Amino acid sequence: MPLLTFFGSLIFRGNVIRGGAFAICNISLSLILSFILFMQVWNGPAIHEQFSWFTIGSWELQVGVLLNNLSVLMLLLVSGIALLVNIYSTKYMQGDPYIRRYWAYLGLFCFSMLGLVIVDNLLLIYMFWELVGFSSYLLIGFWFTRSTAVRANKKAFIMNRLGDLGFLIGIMILFSQFQTLDVTRLFGADGLVKAAVVSGGSWIGSAGSMPAEWLTTAGIVFFLAAVAKSAQFPLHTWLPDAMEGPTSVSSLIHAATMVAAGVFLIARVYPLFDDTVLLVIASIGAFTAFMAATIALTQNDIKRILAYSTISQLGFMMLAMGVGASGSALFHLVTHAFFKCLLFLAAGAIIHEMAHLKEKSGKDFDPQDIRNMGGLRKHMPVTFITMAIGSLALVALPLTSGYLSKDAILIQSFEWAEGSAGWHRLIPVSAMITSWLTAFYISRLIFKVFFGEFRLSALTGGHVHEAHAAMRYVLVILSVFCLFPVFSFHPLLFEDAWILQGFPQIDSMTRVNAFHTVVPAAVNLISIALICLCYRWYAATAKAPDYSRSVLFKFSQDQWHIDRFYSSVLVSGTTRFAGLLYWIDRHIVDGLVNTAGALGRRLAAGSRWIDRYVVDGLVNFSGYLAGVVGNFVRHFQTGRLQHYLVTMLIIILTLFIFKYYTAAI
Amino acid sequence: MIPLSHFMLISGLLFCIGLYAVLSKRNAIMILIGIEFMLNAAILNLVAFGKYDKQVMGGQMFALFAIVLAAATVAVSLAIILNVYTYHKNIDPTTIDQLRD
Repeated sequence: MPLLTFFGSLIFRGNVIRGGAFAICNISLSLILSFILFMQVWNGPAIHEQFSWFTIGSWELQVGVLLNNLSVLMLLLVSGIALLVNIYSTKYMQGDPYIRRYWAYLGLFCFSMLGLVIVDNLLLIYMFWELVGFSSYLLIGFWFTRSTAVRANKKAFIMNRLGDLGFLIGIMILFSQFQTLDVTRLFGADGLVKAAVVSGGSWIGSAGSMPAEWLTTAGIVFFLAAVAKSAQFPLHTWLPDAMEGPTSVSSLIHAATMVAAGVFLIARVYPLFDDTVLLVIASIGAFTAFMAATIALTQNDIKRILAYSTISQLGFMMLAMGVGASGSALFHLVTHAFFKCLLFLAAGAIIHEMAHLKEKSGKDFDPQDIRNMGGLRKHMPVTFITMAIGSLALVALPLTSGYLSKDAILIQSFEWAEGSAGWHRLIPVSAMITSWLTAFYISRLIFKVFFGEFRLSALTGGHVHEAHAAMRYVLVILSVFCLFPVFSFHPLLFEDAWILQGFPQIDSMTRVNAFHTVVPAAVNLISIALICLCYRWYAATAKAPDYSRSVLFKFSQDQWHIDRFYSSVLVSGTTRFAGLLYWIDRHIVDGLVNTAGALGRRLAAGSRWIDRYVVDGLVNFSGYLAGVVGNFVRHFQTGRLQHYLVTMLIIILTLFIFKYYTAAI
Repeated sequence: MIPLSHFMLISGLLFCIGLYAVLSKRNAIMILIGIEFMLNAAILNLVAFGKYDKQVMGGQMFALFAIVLAAATVAVSLAIILNVYTYHKNIDPTTIDQLRD
């Protein structure tokens, strides 16, 4: 059964070039199969099928599929969102000359993502991980004629390579420790990782032992892989640049599914992490969430705001992983996938219309800049309503899905901090501040785009209108998924959510009742206050206080100078290092080679000289001698008979004279 | 009885005249005549020494043979000279130096 989905995706990849309809058919099939699987597996026994792939020495690699709660949930999520995005793309990408390539890439991506979530072997996960990165590279650079897109996909690829390196190191550590890469045997309920104990400074597993530091290292490198894929600090900079791809792609890959792969990986290898690593994960997650939210405050590109928002939400998931609330993290992953996909697709609809307007009017403006929009509420009501629902879910107001998951994370992080001391308390506090910032930036986006007057009406004179029906319906479906009943019948209490019940709860944390009321109340009240402030600033009066000269604003506008830092320190450092190496290469290595070469030349010159003057000299000399003799003899060769006769006479006379004077010749 | 030394003297004289003619004349015919001189000097010697061989007369016989041979040689030589003349319009051996190369 799972193999069917697998092959369905494979065939789907092969024939997808025929067009969108086929793509949609296949992904729908995948969705249906995933749903059937989901029904079978959810909260039931996991399905685990294996076969032998290859044997090295006495070690046999078993590969197969593993379907447990986590896999089927991801399977359903990925195929569901992929289906919606496929439907959306039929209209969004209409008329693109490379549309066939688009379907093929999208198919490849879906295949690798589905593969990633169902395989049971770290090596195979690594392969699909690479495939996901590669197809994302292709899709970001889909409009390859733009130099920014090409730069962005290169950047994404390189950043992801860093993470892949971490993944590979992690696999090697685990393999040398346990001699297997099977996920179930490693991380299962009575798996090898759990059986291994740290005692006396060494990490003792079933197959051997190594210093305890390696356990931490393995956790850190797996986290590094997740950091790169899920765009966490410090490797997050590729995600905003990846917005150069088509918006539907951004929504599928860079908001809903691919970036979730990092979180998924963390969930898969969760038993591996020790306390140090978990603390690192939580800190990085909280920091990333906070940083990305502050950056999102000042951006003007609609997709960039959403990208930073994605980074921020992924930070939340990491934070939840770090504090031990892996169930909440996955819950947030699912809800976030829906509402962020919705936001992106709605933004895509707006950009689509703005781009049409730009084409029609022939004026030059940036169709993604929110400063150019405004008042779109009247022209695009469906988009407005759905996007508003998505935003409310993002802000985590009650009655939305985001409320359930985000509050779960916040409350659990507070509970976690309660049990520990010192600066650990900063983490939930920063998460709370982040969710307020989220409220601010997303309402700024909404108000700037949909309220007030259309800022370009004077310039273009044109009217924007509602997006195509296919796009509209997708938005509506997604917005339904942003509401609470899909996930939990109790609108305010996250613990009722069925997804959370599918994952093991962490019972080490004491349930602190106070948090369950205070935290959501605080978050929501201040969020609503901020939204009202936003409304006053951006919608009602359209006169926001101007902070654009302040240091903090610039700091945020420039995305915390991280890109600049990378380009000035890392890139130019690398370039300089490369220059140094070049110099060494040039002057030392090449110098050696050149010296050897010069020496060879000298030797050659010496032997040439010998050849020339001694060997050739002998030959030439004999030739020369022959020439001289010849020339000399030639004088006798006058051709005149009488001279010959004289010569003969002289010779004969000489002989006679000799004969006469010497005794015996 | 003329002594043998006179014959030898005449013969040497003839040979020297012939040699001179061969080496110095600018006419192929004259050179041919010089050669004849030298040949006859040799034949004279043969005949002169032939006096000491009364039984078989080897000297005279050889002289006769040489004369016949000389006649043949002269015929051939004259033919060559004629051919050279028709080719070069000239029989001066100093100008005909095609043997050189």
